[in-house]
This record gives sequence, structure tokens and C-alpha cells, in this order.
Amino acid sequence: MEANPIVLDDTAGDVVVVVVEGEHDIYTAPTLRERLEEALDRGGGLVVDLTAATFVDSSVLGALLDARRRALESAQGFVVCVGDAVAPGVRRILDITGLVPVLPVMHGRDESVVAARNGADR
Amino acid sequence: MSGPPPEVVIDMAARAEGVGVVRQALAGMADALAFDPAVLSDMKMAVTEACTNVVVHAYDEEAGRLEVQMLAGEEELTIVVRDHGAGIQARPTRDGPPALGLGLPLIAALSDAFELHGAAGRGTEVRMTFAYVRDADPAAAHPVTGSLGAGGRWEPGEPPA
Repeated sequence: MEANPIVLDDTAGDVVVVVVEGEHDIYTAPTLRERLEEALDRGGGLVVDLTAATFVDSSVLGALLDARRRALESAQGFVVCVGDAVAPGVRRILDITGLVPVLPVMHGRDESVVAARNGADR
Repeated sequence: MSGPPPEVVIDMAARAEGVGVVRQALAGMADALAFDPAVLSDMKMAVTEACTNVVVHAYDEEAGRLEVQMLAGEEELTIVVRDHGAGIQARPTRDGPPALGLGLPLIAALSDAFELHGAAGRGTEVRMTFAYVRDADPAAAHPVTGSLGAGGRWEPGEPPA
């Protein structure tokens, strides 16, 4: 059982959700990059679900921003989603870097899947 | 607090898997002190970024050492993150994708005080101080400067007036 899993969920069909749980930093960022690449290779929209993440650092933001750029280049939808209660170790870095509107970050997985399907990144 | 203030020193290989261990040690240290949870959260982030800089930038090939010192004062915790690497200079990451360049701006925003010491070939030391209880949010006084540039790196921008 992986302590800090990163799992692909493709039950939403044309939008792949990368579910990120627990603490993530420079150690797990390479795995996250692989999963994001894998999800984008499917050609549809991408949602990165941080609802169950408790900590993400700038290495994780770097991976998310690279995935976002690739999604933009190939006209794939890209959304990062959080839950109603966002862990301080996730909320703070998103807030103070001003990346909430850039990524963009939305609340709720279902809404985010719809937005990614419609290309909410533009 | 009775007795001498607690001091913790960690000396470990500067590898990616060690950064989470430092966070765990920090959480344990904070348990023993009267920390505001928001401060602990910021402290974990700032120390993670400082350790990540050591792992990614300090050493050329064989990973050297990462030293973390936690010194509990009456009203604040001082954390020193040190390496014996190449010193502060513009250089590529040892391997993997280029870093975002957001580490130091985050450390500056999340700590109550922050000093960076180092010279080429003499290693680098980042010294951060965190008050157990805050009067104000340090990120308000020292907001993260810069923004995401077209190249995907963090553009430093103008420091706040």
C-alpha cells in the first residue's frame, strides 16, 4: 500500500483524473510527472484532484505547470481541483503564488471534469 | 519551559527521499512546542523548499550532506538548512526538469525572518525563524514576488517597495 498514492482514474471517459493523495514533494514529483504525461497521452482533458492531498511543494507546482502548458499546446482541457476543506499544506502555496486563476484551481471533482471537458483553461 | 531549550540536528545524505523525513522531524519538534498549526504548516513548506534546494542544486554528482538544525528559543524556532556544496550560483539542476525558481520567494514569504549565507565553493546556509505565535502573516509583509513567465519558470519580478 503506497502511503502517498498518485492514481489515474479514467471512469469519466474523455477526461482523465489524476488523483493525488497525501504529501508530495521532490521525491514523488517524478512519479507525478509520469502520471500526468500518461494522462495527457490519452488525448482528452485532464483533472488533477488534490482533494486528499495534504502537502504539495514547488516541485509539484512545477509538474502541474508543465502539464498545463502541454495541455494548452495540444488544446486539451486542464483543471486542478480541491475539495471543500483544503489542507493548509495545499491551500497556502496556491494562495500566495497567485496560481489559483492560472492553473486554474476549481472546487469539486464533478465540476472540474465538466470544465476540463469544455476546455476551461482558455 | 524547564531545562535547556531543545535542539535537534539532522545530518543526512542530500537525497530527495530525505526531505519528507525532515518534515516529520519538524512536526515532532513542533509537537513539543506551543506552535500555531498555521505556523507549523508554513514552516514545513519553507523547510521543504530549503532542503529541496540542497538536494537539487548543491552538489554535482555524488550527493553530499544535508544538515538541518532546529533551535528552540523562548518565542521562536530557528531552523538552519546547510550544505557543503558549490555555493549560491546559477547552475542547472543535477538531473530532472529545471526547477521552477519559486523556492527562495516561498521561504521569504513564509518565515518571520530569513537569511541566506554562502559563497562559491563554500556551501550555502539558509537560516529561517518562525514565531510560535504570530502577530501578523509574514506573507502579507513579504508577498511572493514575481509571476509565472512565458517559459514556465518563475520570473522574479520587482521586489516589494
